[in-house]
Amino acid sequence: MNKMLGNKRAICLFVLPTLLVFTVFVFYPILQTFYRSFYDWDGINAAIFTGLSNYKELFQDDLFYESLKNGVIFAAILLVVQVGSATLLTFAMLNRHVKGKRFFRTAFFIPVVLSVTVVCQLWSAIYNPEFGLLNKLFEILGLSYKQNWLSDMKLAIYAVTFVNVWQFTGYQFTIIYAGAKAIPEDYLEAAMIDGASGWKMNLKIILPLLRDTYRMCVVFAVTGGLNAFAHMNLLTKGGPGTSTYTLTYMTFRNAFIIGEYGYGCTSAVILVLQCLIVTIIINRIFTRKEAVTY
Amino acid sequence: MKKWSLKITALMFVLILFSILCIYPLIYLLFYSLKSNQEIFYLNPFGFPIELKFENYVNAFNAFNIVGYFKNSVIVSGVSIVGVIILSLPFAYAVSRMKWRLRGVASTYLTMGLFIPIQVIIIPLAILVKQLHLANTYFALIVPYIAFNLAFSNMILSISFASLPKEMEESAFLDGASIYRTFIKIMVPLVKPAIATAITFIFLSVWNEYTVASILISNNSVKTLPVGLASFTGEHATDWGAMGACLIIASVPAIIIYSVFSEQVEKALTIGGAVKG
Repeated sequence: MNKMLGNKRAICLFVLPTLLVFTVFVFYPILQTFYRSFYDWDGINAAIFTGLSNYKELFQDDLFYESLKNGVIFAAILLVVQVGSATLLTFAMLNRHVKGKRFFRTAFFIPVVLSVTVVCQLWSAIYNPEFGLLNKLFEILGLSYKQNWLSDMKLAIYAVTFVNVWQFTGYQFTIIYAGAKAIPEDYLEAAMIDGASGWKMNLKIILPLLRDTYRMCVVFAVTGGLNAFAHMNLLTKGGPGTSTYTLTYMTFRNAFIIGEYGYGCTSAVILVLQCLIVTIIINRIFTRKEAVTY
Repeated sequence: MKKWSLKITALMFVLILFSILCIYPLIYLLFYSLKSNQEIFYLNPFGFPIELKFENYVNAFNAFNIVGYFKNSVIVSGVSIVGVIILSLPFAYAVSRMKWRLRGVASTYLTMGLFIPIQVIIIPLAILVKQLHLANTYFALIVPYIAFNLAFSNMILSISFASLPKEMEESAFLDGASIYRTFIKIMVPLVKPAIATAITFIFLSVWNEYTVASILISNNSVKTLPVGLASFTGEHATDWGAMGACLIIASVPAIIIYSVFSEQVEKALTIGGAVKG
């Protein structure tokens, strides 16, 4: 038995191809990103070691701070609106008398399975200042609230963020709802006997039991916001001006539009560090002495 | 009793309102994919098409390269799925059931892949793809997609392999089966549900992937749907109906997969995203 399961040749054959592919296409590029962030490099000619000068340049770049700020706005809105509405929807769905749960779950989740391109093309039609659904709606309601949603310097970042909120709130809902459904009935019954009900039950009993679920959702919302790229690239190309730049967008521009690969790696490094630090902080906040086991 | 029904009414109202917010934009899309510009812009922006304009779908096939993008997406998704499964099945088996010293290290090493955002590796990856002369071929996408999805697939399959009783192998070995035969004929069939979950997850993430594809692919003839659809701007974007038809066609596979395997998809995506977070 052990001889069979310890067959060295079989182990190598089973393990090495996967390790090779992963090392070459995931692990090696990470090392490269860190390494190249210290170089002046256009991706073609020989790279020149420049020490920390890319980092110095980055910290003096106004675009860096604007990108950082937009990432924070994006993350904060995702956190509050997505996780907040997912929580309210979960509470509503936990009520025994609510009908049509399967329908609601499906309705909330459908946007999640669509491609980000489809969602963004649809929303740029909806946001279209002349013919879009949104301005038409204001027109019919008689409200003079027509806007150039995506080409207004102040509004664009919020309009872009909303598209992400729309697409992924159902995702957060599905995670939180699954977590809440996994709480054993007798926990809730015991709380009911002690006189908890309705909101009190939701806030005092269910929320604390879902701490680990929420940690996951919060990390997902915040790092998703800080990493944001696809929505910007599809809806606004970082514009108008640079008003919807994020760090990933800046990395993308530095490397693939301007051709400064080294400088692009520098903002990518800052991006990882930022996500890492935020994840550690969130884990600290949500850490408890003992884990919940049912 | 009265207080209850009022509360339920309020809850139902919130849920219905929110589901309209989720679904109506998609219905709007479906409707306008069957309308003329005239109808979308002026006559009837919101409602069911007055006159069903199926030509939009014909135009989508003729004027836009939707069939080409669709074919590319099918090829890239299909080969990626096969590649991930072929690589990760033996790997997961070896780290979860075989006896060797470094199996914990190997498993942890691969698990790191779950926590690495794609943005971090995209620049060196783009250069690597160029150096390997893969740029603007299917493999420029397939190889990175396989590499990114190994970690998740390994996790799902390892958990499933680890839960099987060890008598499975014992009796096979007693019957004289080799390790390879035991693995393929006995063990792999036992983790079919986990394979299905892994395939669902890989399919949706590859089918919908935009970021990497938009950076690594510039040649129109190998673009997948998410990148191809994104290039429909400017002149093409003025024909809203045909554009809408393209978006619908591109979404059909994911919607079908979701409606057939809804529980499976929700599970796969939430586990996948959760560990990724």
